[in-house]
Amino acid sequence: MSADADTSALDVQGYSLRYRSADGQFDALKSIDLTVRRGRTLGLVGESGSGKTSLAWAIMRYLPANAQELSGTLLLAGEDLRTKTTRQILEIRGARVSMVFQDPSTSLNPIMRLGDQLAEVLIRHRGLSARAAFEEGTALLARTGIRSPAEMMRRYPHQASGGEKQRVVIATAIACNPDLIIFDEPTTALDIVTARQILDLFTTLREETGVAALYISHDLGLVSRIAHEVAVIHQGEIVEQGPCAEVFRAPRRAYTRALLAAVPDPAHRIGTPPPDPATPPLLTLANINVRYGELPWLLRLLRPGQAVVQGARNVSFDVRPGELVGVVGESGSGKSTIAKVLAGLQEFSGSVAFAGQRYQGRRAFDRAYRHAVQIVFQNPDASLNPRQTVATILSRPLKLYGTVPPLRIPARIAELLARVRLPAQFAARYPHQLSGGEKQRVAIARAFAAEPKLVICDEITSSLDVSVQASVAELLVELQRETGTACVFITHDLNLVRQLAHRIAVMQHGELVDLFDTADATLPDRAAYTRTLLDAVPTLARIENGVVP
Amino acid sequence: MTPGYLARRLAAVLLVLLVVSFAVFAITMILPGNAAVMILGEYATPDQLAAVSERLGLNRPWSVQYLDWLGGMLQGDWGMSLRLSLPVAGLIASAFANSAMLAATALVTVTVIAIPLGIAAAVKRGTRADLAIGLLAYIGTSMPEFVTATLLIVFLAGPESGLFPAGGFVSPLEDFWGFVAHVMLPAGTLSLVLTAHIARQTRSEMADVLASDYVRAARLKGLAERAVLRRHALPNALAPTIAVISLDIGYLLGGIIVVEEIFAWPGLGRLLIYALENRDLPVIMGVTLVLAMVYATSNLISDLVIAMIDPRVRYA
Amino acid sequence: MRDLLRSPAGLVGTCLLLLVGAMMVLGPLLAPYDPQSFHPRARLQGPSLAHLLGTDQFGRDLLSRLLHGARNTVAFGLGATALGVIIGSIIGVTAGVIGGWIDSAIMRVLDGLLAVPDLLFTLLIVTMLGAGMGYAMLAVSVAFTPGMARIARSAVLSIRTREYVLAAIARGESWGWIIGREVLPNAIGPIVVEATIRVSFAMMIGATLGFLGLGAQPPSTEWGLMVAEARQFMFRSPWCVAVPGVAIALAALGFNLFGDALRDSFDPRRRLR
Repeated sequence: MSADADTSALDVQGYSLRYRSADGQFDALKSIDLTVRRGRTLGLVGESGSGKTSLAWAIMRYLPANAQELSGTLLLAGEDLRTKTTRQILEIRGARVSMVFQDPSTSLNPIMRLGDQLAEVLIRHRGLSARAAFEEGTALLARTGIRSPAEMMRRYPHQASGGEKQRVVIATAIACNPDLIIFDEPTTALDIVTARQILDLFTTLREETGVAALYISHDLGLVSRIAHEVAVIHQGEIVEQGPCAEVFRAPRRAYTRALLAAVPDPAHRIGTPPPDPATPPLLTLANINVRYGELPWLLRLLRPGQAVVQGARNVSFDVRPGELVGVVGESGSGKSTIAKVLAGLQEFSGSVAFAGQRYQGRRAFDRAYRHAVQIVFQNPDASLNPRQTVATILSRPLKLYGTVPPLRIPARIAELLARVRLPAQFAARYPHQLSGGEKQRVAIARAFAAEPKLVICDEITSSLDVSVQASVAELLVELQRETGTACVFITHDLNLVRQLAHRIAVMQHGELVDLFDTADATLPDRAAYTRTLLDAVPTLARIENGVVP
Repeated sequence: MTPGYLARRLAAVLLVLLVVSFAVFAITMILPGNAAVMILGEYATPDQLAAVSERLGLNRPWSVQYLDWLGGMLQGDWGMSLRLSLPVAGLIASAFANSAMLAATALVTVTVIAIPLGIAAAVKRGTRADLAIGLLAYIGTSMPEFVTATLLIVFLAGPESGLFPAGGFVSPLEDFWGFVAHVMLPAGTLSLVLTAHIARQTRSEMADVLASDYVRAARLKGLAERAVLRRHALPNALAPTIAVISLDIGYLLGGIIVVEEIFAWPGLGRLLIYALENRDLPVIMGVTLVLAMVYATSNLISDLVIAMIDPRVRYA
Repeated sequence: MRDLLRSPAGLVGTCLLLLVGAMMVLGPLLAPYDPQSFHPRARLQGPSLAHLLGTDQFGRDLLSRLLHGARNTVAFGLGATALGVIIGSIIGVTAGVIGGWIDSAIMRVLDGLLAVPDLLFTLLIVTMLGAGMGYAMLAVSVAFTPGMARIARSAVLSIRTREYVLAAIARGESWGWIIGREVLPNAIGPIVVEATIRVSFAMMIGATLGFLGLGAQPPSTEWGLMVAEARQFMFRSPWCVAVPGVAIALAALGFNLFGDALRDSFDPRRRLR
């Protein structure tokens, strides 16, 4: 640690970075000014492609060969990193500035024990012997809240959960008491409850060690809860910077305002009015059970050891016409399984009653059902056939179900594109020529082209940037309003679902744990798991009196 | 790695061998060319054909012939060579030993040269050294063994240069240096293709590992590059490389046939060519089965070695 | 396509392929001599003005023989691979699409067949069928079928779970549409890449068979056969074995380089969006 207590931990002044490639050059960072004071956390917020990760690499001095630093200084506790030799950089990395990565599954060596990977950094920078390093490592793991740390030291990464692995990574980062720790979206790859635990760990450690932190994230809500100062980065420029309280209460720039407006706020409803409770349900699921990995006996001989997983267990709920039912849960909760069951993609036992017909098992689904029930998937890159034009993609449901006579198809395609607010010229384009948000709109258009009675949305906003998420969600609601289509909206984003849904179903380990009207979400008679989830999700801090709660 | 895993892998190998044996048998049965005709030639009289067919049991239904043959094999009776009237098992055993010597020499050479080359190419990615190694690797995989062998003989074993003998075999037990002199060119021929192949694969595996997130994390911990390579990169590149080597043994087995023929090396390959030319069915079947067994066994061994290295497989 | 020419491998590979292609198409027209005619007084000569690449043991012009032989050797590679690819792909796609126990059974059989090295498999079949280019081509294509089936199957498997295929199934599209318009157009890529590289192996095996006397028969100008015939005389004039040998290597190199460059151009990581 540097002696001078007034120097900031990190001071970036006028830093510019350019990438050169065969296709030309790209200015990733344009004259960045950034300061992280000692003991403080600066949240760096930006969408994908904003340059936030490039800044992290620049600070760690891990830039690719085609990166060109045009100007600026990077001061770590007063010393300019750009003037350091390679050898000096190796001394600094891990010891005075360290990094916590996004995905603990890939940033740990799979064939090396966790303890060895942690001890490595202690041996390298603090000169400890192997045994001393191991003991110190065990103590560090205990500090990060791992039960039985000595046992965890001896494990391999695949024997630890996501949360445990991330704690090991954090322990490695604080091991040498660095001046600054860079956190690159450390909770994005974790599920909701674990992510909350890691955030709590972060704030605890911060109090204890007084370390400065640069916290990179796309999640404004999260940043508002844990950072002291925030810098908003957009297309390589710092658009706005200042204490959280100020920036969130009174954003000065249009981009910041737009970004804030796009963050889902449960108090701000954007859904359609709820349907009359007296109307009979459109869709009823009764005792849906799904088992994965069930093989006929012959295959079980050839492939023993294949576990049978219960994807869904006695799930029952209904959906009324025009209603939007949100289904929330963490990964592995069974919500995607239910989506696939409803779309006729997954074998199941139990019954699905729809528009007066009862279907027991996947093969029972007939043409009429498949016409009236459509699905939109999560990943915009994978849900459109890369070798088909938008026109072909949109024409399929029209041709298949004969919703319009063949001659009218091109006109209908243009209408559909207009409805999802895409220009008519897009009909001739291929998916790779569209952005993620645009592709998702095409996927939605495809679903609504069939004039369905029910649309299943399987995490349709999860792969999109924040600002795009909001517009896609609004589009969905608008289409619902126009057509009166019901919707089953599957997501892990609790804030978003509280904005959109009329009723919410909560799933855990394949079971339906709770089902309630959205307005009742915070009532005490909610199931314990529901309350845990709601507590775990950071909502945008309501800045009252200039203080962050 | 439980005994169950081991048992399953062995069962898989046996299943594979069964399929191979059946396929080989089927080929001889289905395709035109009755064994009796092949032995006696096209001008045999029907009586002669009938007599030979009877003697060889060729008139029995296929399933009986197959089971009979299979049963004999399992008991160690691999039949008699039709041409040489010697037990097949004995012929194969001595040929196997000679082939093994050649193959072992080639494999050791390849491992010692190819893996370091591949690693060097990956570490110095994009430099001229990498391109040079890459070019040599491409050329190596584009030259059939008979071309390499012929060129080596022309330039190194001719009456003018006379550096190496142009063929033949000397047992290392009788004359070690004689053995070395005779094994150099054939082993060299085999090594060229294999080195090229393995070096390329090693480079590709190593490049993937070097680009991985955990190697990046290790570097960002401030570890020296040598430590990163030694502790993080190499061990992870090792498992897939071993898998590739075992696959290449299949390639080696194919190449050895041609190489032994050209260099008059009395191994399984040369025996096979002889048997093919003379339609000596029992020998053909025996050699084919042995080669398939060697390949399947090498795959099994590589799986086990990978299991020992990779804790994810060990503690699955 | 343009990135193919950007990498040095792709550039060299494409040039070699164009050269080989030209030899196949125009070879016989460009040959200065009849490949079979003897020039007894010019036997086993090195390159000269009269014979640009030298002559063989019968005084036949090597350049002319080379140009004629391109068709035999390269067409063998292309033909054998094409046949193996088609049959193998049908099997592999079927296995990948149907899934279930049929798929597992097919895979086990393929695994068994793959345990036999290609050359060995080919030798067995050729011995039973008889020598000659036609049988040799059939043998090679049968030997390639299991490997191609595997590639086709894994290509189909990786596409089958893509969401646009799921969307088509959810919509209730017919199997014909799903396989023909959704799966196959996207699975073709890896199949084509593998096929291109296999052509070089097919060529090398074909030449090896010719060399062993089990493939092309005299007086064919197949390059492997040329090496075999000239072996006895190779010490007197290395050209008679070196010329066809190097030609085989260059043709195989061309397909290898081109195939690798093709694979790189298909790689989605290269797409700079």
